[in-house]
Amino acid sequence: MSEMWINMGPQHPMTHGLWNLRVKIDGEMILDVDPEMGYLHRGIEKISEDRHYNEVITLMDRCCYVAGLAWEHLYIIASEEALHLEAPERALYLRVLCEEFQRLASHLMWYAAFVQDIGLMSPFLYGMRDRDLILDLLQSYTGARMTYEYMRVGGVRSDLPPGFTDRTRKVLDWLNARFVEYDQLCLGSDIFHKRCDGLGILKANDCVAHGVTGPMLRSAGVPRDLRRDRPYAVYDQLEFDIAHADTADVTGRYLVRMEEMRQSLRILRQVVDWLDRHPGPVMADQLPRWLGAPYAPVGNEGYLLKRHYPKGLGFSAVEEPHGEAQAYVVNEGGEHPYRVKFRSPVFANISAARQYLIGYRVADIPPIMGSVDVCVGEVDR
Amino acid sequence: MATPEANEEKPGENSILWVARPMATAARQFTKSLFRPSTIVYPYERLEDPKFRDRLEVASGKPFGVGEVWDNYRGVHALNIATCISCNLCAFSCPDICIDMVTVAGGDPKHPKKCPQIDYGKCSYCGFCSDACPEGCLTMTTRYELSTPKRSEMVYSPEKLYQVFRSKLPMNPIRLARPANEDAILLDPPLCIGCNACARDCPTNCITMLDVPKPEAKPGEKLPRRIWKEPVVNDSDCVRCGTCISVCPKECLFWGTRK
Repeated sequence: MSEMWINMGPQHPMTHGLWNLRVKIDGEMILDVDPEMGYLHRGIEKISEDRHYNEVITLMDRCCYVAGLAWEHLYIIASEEALHLEAPERALYLRVLCEEFQRLASHLMWYAAFVQDIGLMSPFLYGMRDRDLILDLLQSYTGARMTYEYMRVGGVRSDLPPGFTDRTRKVLDWLNARFVEYDQLCLGSDIFHKRCDGLGILKANDCVAHGVTGPMLRSAGVPRDLRRDRPYAVYDQLEFDIAHADTADVTGRYLVRMEEMRQSLRILRQVVDWLDRHPGPVMADQLPRWLGAPYAPVGNEGYLLKRHYPKGLGFSAVEEPHGEAQAYVVNEGGEHPYRVKFRSPVFANISAARQYLIGYRVADIPPIMGSVDVCVGEVDR
Repeated sequence: MATPEANEEKPGENSILWVARPMATAARQFTKSLFRPSTIVYPYERLEDPKFRDRLEVASGKPFGVGEVWDNYRGVHALNIATCISCNLCAFSCPDICIDMVTVAGGDPKHPKKCPQIDYGKCSYCGFCSDACPEGCLTMTTRYELSTPKRSEMVYSPEKLYQVFRSKLPMNPIRLARPANEDAILLDPPLCIGCNACARDCPTNCITMLDVPKPEAKPGEKLPRRIWKEPVVNDSDCVRCGTCISVCPKECLFWGTRK
């Protein structure tokens, strides 16, 4: 049979966003793959250079539509380091609360999309239903369901509404019971195992060589998690385990993500208990006024030259739901960041597609790519 | 790694349990959902209705504590024109540049009162404007239905935003912008010509023009032509909007730390 290239994407049910996977096939066998990204490029790094430090937060929500708060957290840590500011401890805990909620919401979204990729419809509905409970919680204190704009340089926007912590505990208990059900539906099913076991194997040394991080790396038996290996915010004060599996295949990634959700529940319980016991301010006291508002009004930019702020560099690395995201912010003393650079974990994870797709069959592509958890918004930025 | 219960008692090879168990789980959920559908039929039912206040309650069928999900929601703005001081801070802080300051009726004809007009075609509902508002007159409400057949109707004039304010929708808790101690308006005295522009345009009237002594001209030296007054800023009333800096014709005002 002759070889041919086919395009899966840029608009294809398998891709979960705008990107193109070119596949070279011979019959059913995959001989070569070539991922093409860039269809969703918005130039976020360049736009950031023309915005105030706080205004970049609106762009971070658009980086990843399922984990906006994790990206806000990433940017905020880097810019606070660059601006020599420190947030109060309660704000740090609130940020961890946000990030773990986002991890749950993102993984539930992944679960819903992944099981649909392998042909199961009911778990899709369960995943989306339970994710909505988390979105309700997020909305009750950030004010939006998707574009949160909650964190600020030097703190967070607002404190929790009354009754939030009790409500959260109930949702966490509800979710804990649901995870058993998820496993019954997937791990208890022969169809799932026949579809996923031994597929898309990416061993640990290949992961390291290609910069693959997150659940894909942990499913290959490497218990690396920035929350423990390079603790940021208050993760060093929280107790949790690093989920990892040894199979390095699609089932392994499923197991890692499900265990991560359980660990997130564990972290959230500790954070909620802490927040109950420690009221306090959520914004730093001494914030420069220019962080809040004013531009140089048009027509009189000269006064900018008269202001001298301390320069600085900021770097942060955050364990985002998809992997290790990194940010670098250069503060040259102006009102805008001089340069902002982001590292997207999914970009590296997709780029290694040749390593874990060649040799399988065309029908295996949806479960394998589904297990990568692609979010194109952050790949293209 | 902690394994879930479903994984512990694995059925044997070719056991019927591999298929029967997941189907039983799905069937259990299906029968439950027959009696308590969690779908909200949107135009007829709304998420903010009290009966959907807590969707956990809907999903589980058990009464849990009711929490107010909607009070913090960031929807259409409400503007109280009466307390607006035209400081421009909302327009400056808007990342989408969708806020224009337009003239409203009832101001001094020489210095007309300007209030924000918001283009909801561009607005991203980030809430930076209401955070920046020093008077708490621009807040966000829970209204989210804006669809209209005309693009021009997406632009809400101050009067229309005032109508939203009058409709008494639940509003986002007001967070007054706090001026930081660090930044203040400073003056570069040799450049000032005492023109009064800053004091005239200050939205809070916190700038007063005080007399400065006219120096004695030395022989052969020419004194600058100016009014011998200089602005003095009252830091406690100042909202740090920067209007004075932008109107100063000599660029002698700037941000700095008061010593």
